[in-house]
Amino acid sequence: MASAELLDLCRRAVARAKSLGADEAEAFARAVDSVSSTIEKHDLQISKSQKETAIGVRAFVGRRVGFASTNRIDGLDAACKEAVALARISPEDPSNVLPEPADVESIDGLFDPAASEFSATSAVRHAAELIEETERTDRRVIVNDATFDATVEDEAVASSAGVAAFQRGSLFLYSLVATARDGDRVSSFDIQFGATRRVADIDVATPVRKACENALSSLDAERGESFRGAVLLAPAAVSDILVGTVLFQLNARNSLRGRSRWTSGVGKSVASSSFTLVDDGVLPGGVATSAFDREGVPHRPLSLIEEGRVVAMLQNAYSAHASGTANTAHASGGAHSVPGIAPTNLLVLPGECSSDEMVTDMRFGLLVQRFSGNVDPISGDFSGAVKAARLIQGGKLGRSVSGTMIAGNAFEVLRNISGISSNRELIYAQTLPFIRLEDVSVTA
Amino acid sequence: MQTLLEGIAARGGGWIELRYQARRAKQLVVRNGQVEESSSAELVGVGVRAFADGAFGFASTTDLTRAGIERSVEIARSTAAAAAAAKRTRIERLADVDLARGEVPLPTSDPLDAHSLEEKLGLVTRIDDLVRSSSALVVSSEVSYAEMIDEKVIVTSDGASVVVHDSKPAIRILAIAGRDGKRTRALESLGVTGGWADLLSVKSPEDAAVAAVRLAVDLLDAPPAPGGPFQVILDPELVGVLAHEAIGHTVEADFVLGGAVTADKLDKRVASDLVTLCDNGTSVYAPHAVGELAVDDEGVPNRRTAIIENGFLRAYLHNRETAAHFGVVPRGNARAYTYRDEPVIRMTNTYVEPGETPLQEMLGTMKDGYFLKGFGPSGQADSNAEFMFGVREAWRVRNGKRTELVRGATISGNAFDTLMSVDAVGDEFEWEHGAGFCGNKGQLAKVDGGGPYLRCTVNVGGEQEGGRGQR
Repeated sequence: MASAELLDLCRRAVARAKSLGADEAEAFARAVDSVSSTIEKHDLQISKSQKETAIGVRAFVGRRVGFASTNRIDGLDAACKEAVALARISPEDPSNVLPEPADVESIDGLFDPAASEFSATSAVRHAAELIEETERTDRRVIVNDATFDATVEDEAVASSAGVAAFQRGSLFLYSLVATARDGDRVSSFDIQFGATRRVADIDVATPVRKACENALSSLDAERGESFRGAVLLAPAAVSDILVGTVLFQLNARNSLRGRSRWTSGVGKSVASSSFTLVDDGVLPGGVATSAFDREGVPHRPLSLIEEGRVVAMLQNAYSAHASGTANTAHASGGAHSVPGIAPTNLLVLPGECSSDEMVTDMRFGLLVQRFSGNVDPISGDFSGAVKAARLIQGGKLGRSVSGTMIAGNAFEVLRNISGISSNRELIYAQTLPFIRLEDVSVTA
Repeated sequence: MQTLLEGIAARGGGWIELRYQARRAKQLVVRNGQVEESSSAELVGVGVRAFADGAFGFASTTDLTRAGIERSVEIARSTAAAAAAAKRTRIERLADVDLARGEVPLPTSDPLDAHSLEEKLGLVTRIDDLVRSSSALVVSSEVSYAEMIDEKVIVTSDGASVVVHDSKPAIRILAIAGRDGKRTRALESLGVTGGWADLLSVKSPEDAAVAAVRLAVDLLDAPPAPGGPFQVILDPELVGVLAHEAIGHTVEADFVLGGAVTADKLDKRVASDLVTLCDNGTSVYAPHAVGELAVDDEGVPNRRTAIIENGFLRAYLHNRETAAHFGVVPRGNARAYTYRDEPVIRMTNTYVEPGETPLQEMLGTMKDGYFLKGFGPSGQADSNAEFMFGVREAWRVRNGKRTELVRGATISGNAFDTLMSVDAVGDEFEWEHGAGFCGNKGQLAKVDGGGPYLRCTVNVGGEQEGGRGQR
């Protein structure tokens, strides 16, 4: 379904909901055309093709709201009725509001016309490349699972408040889970992925080489050492341990729910002055780049934490109204879900030293590539096993370690950041550096 | 729909599997006394899997006309051909098995549709009120209800033709306590296969709400868990999580073929002889397990699989492809989450069978260890059976007595080493009855885990006090 037809479908849904008794209404639709190939046990497993159009309708009766979705266009009328019926049984909430319309500017590079010609055979070819590149890198590494997905996606949103927006995007996502096996020795698995919006920029080799490197390094892992001290987190571990907690706290909905420690929000000092975090929904080529959010509000770059101090929270229409602040266009979700709050492309600004220089500067510590464990975003407590970890001794990377756990509190370690690298890596939609933390508990 | 699919499957042209699925889902969420979500979703379509030249192709459609489904059959066949061209090891055949025919009825005498949304919202609102009124230290509450009602028609060109009805409701109760800027949380879940009365029969939502508040409040004063190797008692929920996450995934036959640590362990000792661990789509020992499954999405009737019998690894979990490879009969473990998904090897209800030791006897003979209850907030297990799980409620045990509550405990180790260390298996049995899903191979699945209390040795993760390298 073309974008303009999709927008028309949304407008019809809004009109139908109003004719059924809704005072206000909003419809969000998404049409997906995708092909994918899956690898299991180092061989192609299945090739898939999918087409689906789904639409979700929010009906407002006064300040009561109900939501219903369907993937059957002939089920739209029933969905509108269901949304209105659900609104009628729900209690009033003064913050159930729709955003006002605003000009949405289209974003260059969101859609690659070459994606329209991308076939199931093309997806199979790139999936096969994942295996071939792994074998070229090291034959001890096995691709346990991998997927190559190519998606063309149309999105449209319309509301009785006057919002009307649509866009088309293409996205190529590829990921692999790899382990190394050498005789009786089996490594931990490693997960890597890549993403691009352009056919010409598909690069499966980079994540494959990184997965091989990490899997092989853990093959020779030995028991680690227990200490309390410095830990250097690689970007994937930064994402695992710190980013989730920070985002939970910056989510205005969590603040309204009384779950965020940063309820007082803007102006609060929460991290070392070297830590600056930006959200950019219009980042050129970004995985999470789009012209507008789930409610049709245009995206724009936004600083969240500047030099350790909170400068903005993530807001959608509900939270902005409830907290009396500006909507930051972070309504998230799809046709089958009510709008939530989520970031778009996240960037931690780089420091001055490279990660290699940071290692050189460490007398003793641990480099952690990946973290597998608990992170409680409310208390900030984290505890779990480190993966593909190496000891740092006398400014040099030492042996790989296994069976080692780290524990601490994210709020405390954010204040104890002692270094941020100049080099960064893309972890899905997050551009993250290496971060050195102090006073972390390490148990072997 | 069954007649239409049977007609399309009978047209020849090679093996195909046609799966119609109509899912109706509802979700009600109340947070801090406010209804944050009242929503319903409908997901209807047909998934077609074709097998040609030793490879699978898959296509899905929402066009439920004969022409629309036949077009998807052609796309599935052409994608199978594309896959076959790149596949290194062709699949020789699918395992022969008696395929299901007939109808699997709704697993309840009290259907969810017989209860109004007002009644369900009333319960959720009442429980949310209870959470907030149970302690002045509760700073946030969240109670949600979710239901998933499925109707499937599964037809294969080699003989399956079955209509399957399913119904899985669940309630989640979250309490967050706070004091002096400190926040702690506790989550209780109730999930079943069945209807409204079945959901309310496994555990009282009111009791669950009070338990969540008590734990969240008590954790405010709990000291950090001391780390190190300890003898522990795992409760049935943690036993189920261990059975599912740390053992179950390593015996999924596709993982085995991909190099999982179990690849060369069949018929070898992997656990204490006290341990028998099974996967079973039928709720044994206690009713309404979340992972109930009568017929899988390949049309294969589900049967009990004894994965570990008296300490010896005896079986893997299969779909028809891997069963043919290993020369065994599939027992119904191929599952697809929606019509858009192809069936993949998944667990159902995974559990340790009960033994003979009363809990008090286990506890009474422990000198210094932990009594561990419940899973959360998260965890992970590896294909080499290494695991790390968060523990919801960790109690120190000293000289046979449960003493103080500690916070932030995790358990980790190698699952088979852990099972080898088992020296007592309890005489009670419970399902976890969780509200969540297992995510694997890009799909979700409703599963359950359970077992008796079990005593073993694991590495407890907690705080490390000083040591080398302190700076």
